[in-house]
Amino acid sequence: MALRPVVVTGLGIICAAGRDPAEFWRRLTAGQGGLTPIEDEAFAVFTARYAGQVPDAWIDDQLPQEDRGRDRTARLALVAARQAVGQAGLVSRDPGTDPGRPDPGRLGIILGKCQATPDAAGRYQPMHRTADVVADRLGLLGPRILVSTACAAGGNAVGLARDKILTGEADAVLAGGVDPLLFGTYAGFAGLQALSTGPCRPYSSSDGLNLGEGAAFLLLEPLDLALARGATPLAEVAGYGLSADAYHATAPDPTGRGGASAVRRALADAGLTSADVHYVSGHGTGTPANDTMEAKVMRLVFGERAGRVPTSSIKSFVGHTLGAAGAVEAVASVLALQHGVAPPTIGFEDEPAAADLDFVPNAARPMTIDTVVSNNYAFGGNNVSLVLTRPRGPRPYDGLPHRAAVITGLGPVTGVGAGIAEVAEAVATGLQEPGRPPSLDGRTYAPRSLWRHMNHLSRMAIAASRLAWEDAGLKLPRKALDEVGLVFATAAGSAESTGGFDESIALNPNKPAVLSFSNVVLNATGGAVCQTLGLRGPTTTICNGGASASIALDCALEMIRAGKAEVVLVVAADETTAPAPASDPPVPYGESTAAPVPGSAAVAFVVESAEHCAGRAGRAYATVTGTAHTTGTGTEAVLRELPVSGAGPAELVIGAGTGGPEDGQEAAAVLGCAPGALLTASAGLTGDCQAATGAMNLLLAALALREQIAPALTGLTAPRAGTLGSYVTKPDLPAPVRRALALTAAHGSVRGAVLLEAV
Amino acid sequence: MATVLATEHPEDTAYGQVGDATVPLRFSSLAEEYRVLRNRAAVLDLGGHGLIQITGADGVDFAQRVLARDVEYLTSDRCMMSLVLDESGQVVDQVLAFGREDGLLLESSCGAGTRLLEHLLARVADDDVQITDRSGDLTVIGLEGPYAWGVVGRLIDAELASLPFESVVDTAWDDVEIVFARTGLTGEYGYQMIVPIESAAALWRRSLEHAQAAGVEALELAMLEVRQPIPRHEVTPGASVIEIGANWLVDITKDDFVGKDAVVEAFEAGGGRRTVGFTGCPGVPALGTRVQAAGQDIGEVVYAVHSVGLDATLGLARVTEDLAAAGLELTVGGLPVTTLTSPYVVPKSWSIPII
Repeated sequence: MALRPVVVTGLGIICAAGRDPAEFWRRLTAGQGGLTPIEDEAFAVFTARYAGQVPDAWIDDQLPQEDRGRDRTARLALVAARQAVGQAGLVSRDPGTDPGRPDPGRLGIILGKCQATPDAAGRYQPMHRTADVVADRLGLLGPRILVSTACAAGGNAVGLARDKILTGEADAVLAGGVDPLLFGTYAGFAGLQALSTGPCRPYSSSDGLNLGEGAAFLLLEPLDLALARGATPLAEVAGYGLSADAYHATAPDPTGRGGASAVRRALADAGLTSADVHYVSGHGTGTPANDTMEAKVMRLVFGERAGRVPTSSIKSFVGHTLGAAGAVEAVASVLALQHGVAPPTIGFEDEPAAADLDFVPNAARPMTIDTVVSNNYAFGGNNVSLVLTRPRGPRPYDGLPHRAAVITGLGPVTGVGAGIAEVAEAVATGLQEPGRPPSLDGRTYAPRSLWRHMNHLSRMAIAASRLAWEDAGLKLPRKALDEVGLVFATAAGSAESTGGFDESIALNPNKPAVLSFSNVVLNATGGAVCQTLGLRGPTTTICNGGASASIALDCALEMIRAGKAEVVLVVAADETTAPAPASDPPVPYGESTAAPVPGSAAVAFVVESAEHCAGRAGRAYATVTGTAHTTGTGTEAVLRELPVSGAGPAELVIGAGTGGPEDGQEAAAVLGCAPGALLTASAGLTGDCQAATGAMNLLLAALALREQIAPALTGLTAPRAGTLGSYVTKPDLPAPVRRALALTAAHGSVRGAVLLEAV
Repeated sequence: MATVLATEHPEDTAYGQVGDATVPLRFSSLAEEYRVLRNRAAVLDLGGHGLIQITGADGVDFAQRVLARDVEYLTSDRCMMSLVLDESGQVVDQVLAFGREDGLLLESSCGAGTRLLEHLLARVADDDVQITDRSGDLTVIGLEGPYAWGVVGRLIDAELASLPFESVVDTAWDDVEIVFARTGLTGEYGYQMIVPIESAAALWRRSLEHAQAAGVEALELAMLEVRQPIPRHEVTPGASVIEIGANWLVDITKDDFVGKDAVVEAFEAGGGRRTVGFTGCPGVPALGTRVQAAGQDIGEVVYAVHSVGLDATLGLARVTEDLAAAGLELTVGGLPVTTLTSPYVVPKSWSIPII
């Protein structure tokens, strides 16, 4: 099946080796690296001092005055994003002045980021904020995703962007990554003994990495639309592959199986074989574990040809830019294709770590390059591989097939109970425990040897995953587990590990809490789930606040549509460190004075192709009839975007209301767009558990279709919109529900809606 | 009973009876086989290890009850070593437990298969548990040594050589389905292959093209040198798990397992004796030889051999708790010895990366 060709029409980059693509390429081909000692005295406490830093002037000289006061992450991202959009010829914000420019609602952004970064005042900002800022400044109102698969995020973003074009949700997507150099992260890597004291030397000395900073973007669009508006395709994004090591929190699987699996999946996605590959842009951090593992990936994938496929690491120029790395290397790969030159690994010494491989030592190499594979490997055991080719001409293509997907297993871990039976009981009896942390007592969910090293978020997520898996009745052999996907959704990751790590750094930067550090990356919990359940299929992590779970569901559906997985586990988890309040529980949609209550929970659900479920005689809760996401325009828009079920309107809506003032707008929109449906929410039950609340809404919608119960809005007397008759006030639903709608919300950013239908 | 590979071994192979098995102790000389194991790669006939399969709907629960470590979530790509205890906390055997799609496969220690099987069968209640002796259709071949990974690459697949410790892969060798595991008993790179007996001879012969055979004597010496427990030498009547020094092969955080109460009691009671390595005295002292400190009797020798690696006597003494420490001058049968910290010989594999 030939899918719609997706091409790159714009590049943007700012990193230690250049402030724009032209300078970056000039320096790559001249072997002029950008790794320098850090002059900031705060870093003097560390023995290792080299990093890939971006001079302030490079950033501010490219920004309009109004953007210069923003935080460094946003400024870096804005510089690179504007370059990419500019090269693609999509500069104008006003479609009225540029008739060739796509509708802003069909322009998306998918941003990879590894670190939670500070705002201009130095406080942590939501993970998705940088994507919001770039989208707002550039007028991108289409799909918006923040992907945080640690050091694989930038490459992952490019792959997800291609998916959004193939599904037809966007006509152009700005895909990339960004991360600044942060003191805490530097201390963490120093604590892991992972930093080189000089400029890093990947694939030869391999004595450690240098951290770097920067941003890179690629503007992706379908070849046909690009040509129609006169844009110049620079390269094709022919395919991508994701995989999970299911091995360790920070160390790569030493066999190289995980990395090789990502490359093989990417080549299969592209319809190519390893024989077609001319050059590999390696991850090449310069740590012994990475470089040794990567050599194995090369041998596994290319076999006897491994030594004849040049592979190099441009981290020897720019350092490890974490969430930006995959995008930085994708930009270099596109330039390598354009110019027919493989960038070198600089600082390469005579004694390579693997003498049988060609690491393009020290000098750029002109050569025929039609196909590049760009690889990244990350904490949490997440691997990504991109296949980029020289652009080819227009050609016939097939649409992505529509494949029905069903939800077959539910795994809630909440303050009102663990497992669907306990939660159903809580719903039926009207139990409410907002803000109460879940209890995991009474049974085990993982081998004790793993469990005792897990933080609370991972424990909740593992328990939820195990419960969902058991509820689905899935008994898959080892080989099938290698293909099971995992999409993790979280707004903020582990508050426990982030807090513990930050405290340790504040006390002594040279004694960081390294176990906490390995769990600070947002995808750590997803990695822990994969490791515990032995899942090695495609995996990613979505961090769009309260909308993360429905976006994660979209990713799962895309994996199933593309034939990349038959079974995908979606897990959402967030936690609060605030104690449960003694005050009255929140009343979603009510004119109550009770404030929203933050909570902790993990909710997992198994998404399966209907075909696979039927093949094993599984019992589904619901069919996923449609999903929709909109940005910044309220609930009404997302409801309008949602595909309409031919069988009739939704009879039940599990809304995203948490008891705050935003509830009124949502209630009014639901009552207007889904007249006759009953509205309720999960926040009275569990509190606002961010990403897990979105997943809980999905779970409750699926439960309602099977059990005909829904959480009653206890205490609702004066709704902010409509009358009491429009809300669920008793758990037993008054009329049969065949279609239920679940809403998610990251306020001020993305709203989501999922329509489920009884099987 | 002789191992299934006995017909493959040279006529002058020295055999010995170990429990229920007749096993090759030496193929040539202990010193030569030891050097192969410590410096290159040795292939091991582990046919004396019994193989017992536990299946059935309650199989994993049963295994969780009879094994002292946590195997509830032992997936089919993992294996782990565990003790099997009786109700009084005495060691029945030390097994390698392989997670399987349909339950678990237990590999007994050398010569202990029959005893283990009887122990398991005696503890099956009315649950849906099937215990099957697979020793009649499967056998085990081991590879051990600092370059054993190279043999794996030449023999099967280089990808398998760098498997993480205690990882298991179902793979094929010469179109025969085998279970391949990264294990290790001697501190060197170690692998085990569980293979159908009808294909064992062919795999053994092919292995010998890349490695030399080593017998049980060389293997057990190398195990002792890194303080890998050898139950048949170290388990003495009445000795608790703690006295044997095999605490790491039980997990008292488990809700329950056969023998847990006795182990917990021993933990809580404290005292008793502990096991410590020693070297120094000329000749190999007999088992039970008394150990003294400053003229006071503090314990006895439980196992002693001549270590090729140390070129000296190496033994284990079970002595009073507070004297089971490294660096002490004691006497064994009146002869001076020094207690040691393990490993007593540093394996070469620790400084050789797999490439």
